[in-house]
Amino acid sequence: MRAVENALGITIPDNARIIRNLITGIQYVQDHVIHFYHLHALDWVDIVSALKADPKKTSELAQSISDWHNSSEAYFKGVKEKLKTFVESGQIGPFTNGYWGHKAYKLPPEANLIAVAHYLEALDWQRDVIKIQALLGAKNPHAQTYLVGGMAVPVDPNSENALNAGSIAFMSGLAKKALEFVEKVYIPDLLAVASFYKEWAKYGAGVGNYLAYGVFEQDTKSNTDNLYFPRGIILNKDLSKVYPVDHKKITEYVTHSWYEYPDGDDKARHPWDGVTNYKYTGPKPPYKFLDTDKKYSWLKAPRYDDKPMEVGPLARMLVAYASGHKRVQEVVNFVLKKLNVGPEVLFSTLGRTAARGVETLVTAEMLPVWLNELAANMKKGDYRIHNSERWDPSTWPREAQGYGFHEAPRGALGHWVKIKDGKIENYQCVVPSTWNGSPRDAKGQRGPYEAALIGTPVADPEKPIEILRTIHSFDPCMACAVHVTDAEGREVVRIKIV
Amino acid sequence: MSAERKRVYAWEFPVRLTHWVNVVCILTLSVTGYYIGNPFIHAISSREYIMGWMRFVHFVAAYAFVCSVIIRFYWAFVGNRYARWGALIPHTSRQWKDLFGAIKFYLFLSRKPPYAVGHTAFAGLVYIIIFILYIWQIISGFALYSLSDHTWASGILGGWLTGVMHLQTIRLYHHLVMYVILAFAIAHIYIGWYLDSKERNGIMGSIFGGYKFVTGKEWE
Amino acid sequence: MGRGAFHDDSGGETVYETLRNRGLTRRDFLTFCTMMAATLALPASFAPRIAEALEKKKKPTVVWLEFQDCAGNTEALLRASAPTVKELVLDILNVEYHETIMAAAGHQAEKSLEDVVKNLKGQYITIVEGSIPLKDGGVYCCVGGRAAIDIVKEVCSGALATIAVGTCAAYGGIPAAAPNPTGAVGVSDAIPGLKVVNLPGCPVNVENITATIVHFLTFGSLPSLDKLGRPLFAYGKRIHDNCERRAHFDAGQFVRQWGDEGHRQGWCLYEMGCKGPETFKNCPRIKYNEGTSWPVGAGHGCIGCAEPAFWDKMAPFYRRLPQPPGFGVEKTADKVGAGLAAVTGAAIVAHGIGRVIAGGKKEKTEE
Repeated sequence: MRAVENALGITIPDNARIIRNLITGIQYVQDHVIHFYHLHALDWVDIVSALKADPKKTSELAQSISDWHNSSEAYFKGVKEKLKTFVESGQIGPFTNGYWGHKAYKLPPEANLIAVAHYLEALDWQRDVIKIQALLGAKNPHAQTYLVGGMAVPVDPNSENALNAGSIAFMSGLAKKALEFVEKVYIPDLLAVASFYKEWAKYGAGVGNYLAYGVFEQDTKSNTDNLYFPRGIILNKDLSKVYPVDHKKITEYVTHSWYEYPDGDDKARHPWDGVTNYKYTGPKPPYKFLDTDKKYSWLKAPRYDDKPMEVGPLARMLVAYASGHKRVQEVVNFVLKKLNVGPEVLFSTLGRTAARGVETLVTAEMLPVWLNELAANMKKGDYRIHNSERWDPSTWPREAQGYGFHEAPRGALGHWVKIKDGKIENYQCVVPSTWNGSPRDAKGQRGPYEAALIGTPVADPEKPIEILRTIHSFDPCMACAVHVTDAEGREVVRIKIV
Repeated sequence: MSAERKRVYAWEFPVRLTHWVNVVCILTLSVTGYYIGNPFIHAISSREYIMGWMRFVHFVAAYAFVCSVIIRFYWAFVGNRYARWGALIPHTSRQWKDLFGAIKFYLFLSRKPPYAVGHTAFAGLVYIIIFILYIWQIISGFALYSLSDHTWASGILGGWLTGVMHLQTIRLYHHLVMYVILAFAIAHIYIGWYLDSKERNGIMGSIFGGYKFVTGKEWE
Repeated sequence: MGRGAFHDDSGGETVYETLRNRGLTRRDFLTFCTMMAATLALPASFAPRIAEALEKKKKPTVVWLEFQDCAGNTEALLRASAPTVKELVLDILNVEYHETIMAAAGHQAEKSLEDVVKNLKGQYITIVEGSIPLKDGGVYCCVGGRAAIDIVKEVCSGALATIAVGTCAAYGGIPAAAPNPTGAVGVSDAIPGLKVVNLPGCPVNVENITATIVHFLTFGSLPSLDKLGRPLFAYGKRIHDNCERRAHFDAGQFVRQWGDEGHRQGWCLYEMGCKGPETFKNCPRIKYNEGTSWPVGAGHGCIGCAEPAFWDKMAPFYRRLPQPPGFGVEKTADKVGAGLAAVTGAAIVAHGIGRVIAGGKKEKTEE
């Protein structure tokens, strides 16, 4: 969409910009919390151990780290009882066959119980706060109000069929609820869990290069660089310099991917000239292992200036930190101080998980700001939500090309489009999980997942929870990467043991 | 060529009736149908019921059209020699000859205008095609109608088509065929007028009164 | 585990017992049953019957398979409100396998699935999310080195019931859009003859999943399906016929430009390409995210996401009619039609002129 707006030279109205920021913002907050509690926490939290917790001690621990209201002894007793009934019922559903009791779990039972309580609370909380997106995007997941040129949600304080003061109030309430949970539950839990796993600051560094397109537009220019979270690149873990992003330096290899390029698979191509001709050469299923010397992935290998890049909350926070973003610096320094560590720990599995928390907090703080911007526009009488000048394809030039940058919760997302005769001639997306899950390129350079797993100790090769910790810390795209993780995960384990 | 002219009762009443019912229905269906596909009048208040009326009129006209087509279909079995299938479907060598003669005439390749007491072979063939298009419009129309009308009638008349084709495909061709029929209507009137002015055979009048003038040679 | 999933006398906890043990009051429970009755389009008098069924039935075991998907329906499941995902996953269902939400991974995860298929044959419910690629031996989607088609065949053939959630699992969805490079199909096309309940939508409205399961528990049978395998209680009516903006359609009040007066006043989105008139789903009634909103309610037309081949057939999303084949994108059906009429008119004029000229010539030669 941004790519098409860029190609056709469309400037969106300010309200559309704000609405897009709000949708993206609440998505970060909700997605990061779900990721932490529901997709990542169980790598660190042993729910079975929580059964051994003492509710009184748990309550004391909870109150010592946060003034969240659900912290009484009775509350934790209730949670423990419920958990007990659940586990004893024998039907533990999604928790079946977890690595419970694994010696890599280090939290005391009380901390585990707090985490279980918050796992359940977060389930209810996320359902509520995401209604900001449901209201602005028609539904969640899969918002359906994005248009080339703006948004399809009308704004009019004097209509019940448009965003009005009531909608602002509704969203403000949810934004407040979102921020409160992040401040009082997520961040304290994150710090508490992290303090038990500080050694994970040594593992999972990855490639050491970080790319952020930046996000949260502060003006309506196409691909503006006036962003709340800035655009930039950090190379070799050097926070003293932030390099600018030039989209022309982005290329993709298919050397180890199941695709072929017309002029040889060893040459990288810019997305405008990107080609997606699939050609599967892997083993016939069922298979046990993939041969990583050959082609072994459905992901292409994106490179910036021929270097692999990590994308995601860590990349965004590092670029913001190094660019002098005040609030990010404050929160990052606060977290580092709390954990009593230096900024070098950021380049790790732990750093990745912590950066996600920092970003959630800073983003949640912005939600009311954007809501105020929207209200201010309404007050001014600016109800525009769409620029219709180029809506009709007959107004388009015969040929056009453009690109659009966005930051999905899990990282930098770029779309490139070529338009000819009113139709898409070529469309290429370079998505976060292809950056992070990238296979090797023509030079044999590994992508971030692969690089991050090197040197990770695995206590029990049959139950490689350590692998999960690092892979999950990237927030892999559930749809495409889960399979890759599995296949490659086993592979890497094998290398480690030999 | 004999100049003697005979007055022949070519178009019986049901033929003329269905012709004019079709004219009215096609015009009504086209205007309301176009509106339904592309609402060109916009209501200024919620009290109005423009789309509602357009759809209502469209559906009523559709039923009238179905009846008319059924009558004409029936009459093709029991009507006079000019109304029957034999006059419409080219099956004799003479009809084939006439057909090519007519095509040559319309393309300026020949000066001999097509002529027959009833339909010329060319016209007969065109009418058969138009008749098929009518049936398509009825089936596709009722297929769309069946989305909100779950009666057996709309099921039989077209509801079954929704399981065969995608709704949007049905809609598209229901819409496009309207233009084909309108284009036919324009050409139909022009050719009628043109032949009338050329031959003075009363072809334009015949569809009102039923009588045509023929010369002895053609009256075989 | 290992006991029958639906046996009244199996000695395990019933759904109601679990809910009660988890602190749900009898009143909450009955409220839930009433909501389910409403979603199932049943009169409220059915609520006691649903309650009775849930009080007796043991938690059904569910395996949730994901193939060519985006986990959007899983995300939708996380937004469930009546019951909430917490109740759904922990109390009402026994979700033994779900790639996204389960704690286990790798070999352990595959073991959970094997256990269910082996020990609970004919007693578990399979929910499938995502399409299944058939081309080239199924190499385009493998989980743990096994092709999706092999997994789905094995798991579904031993299941008590199979529910395809989302448009991809029901009809192939977006992966099946032209040119369908991987040969993606929905579950019912992947396993011909298998009885599948299709719950299309992108994502599915999660209430429809719960209602289908509750229907099954309450009445002991799958809900009545239409010819596309969709439950009539959720897909029996057109969006257009249940739409909150329908009055504006009948009146003739249409949005003509995004953000115009009509758009702000909630007029009909017909002219903006809304596909409500060709889409069957209960969106207008149950909406999304606990009734917060839905596309037409928010101001964007329906794109027909619950219909087969929607990506190809419902496009262009912002026009009423599809593209006439063989014409450029700027040619709408009306332009093509008007062109046809114009060509006819031009042919007539040309013919007339031609005749005059020919007539002139003729006269000349006669002279």
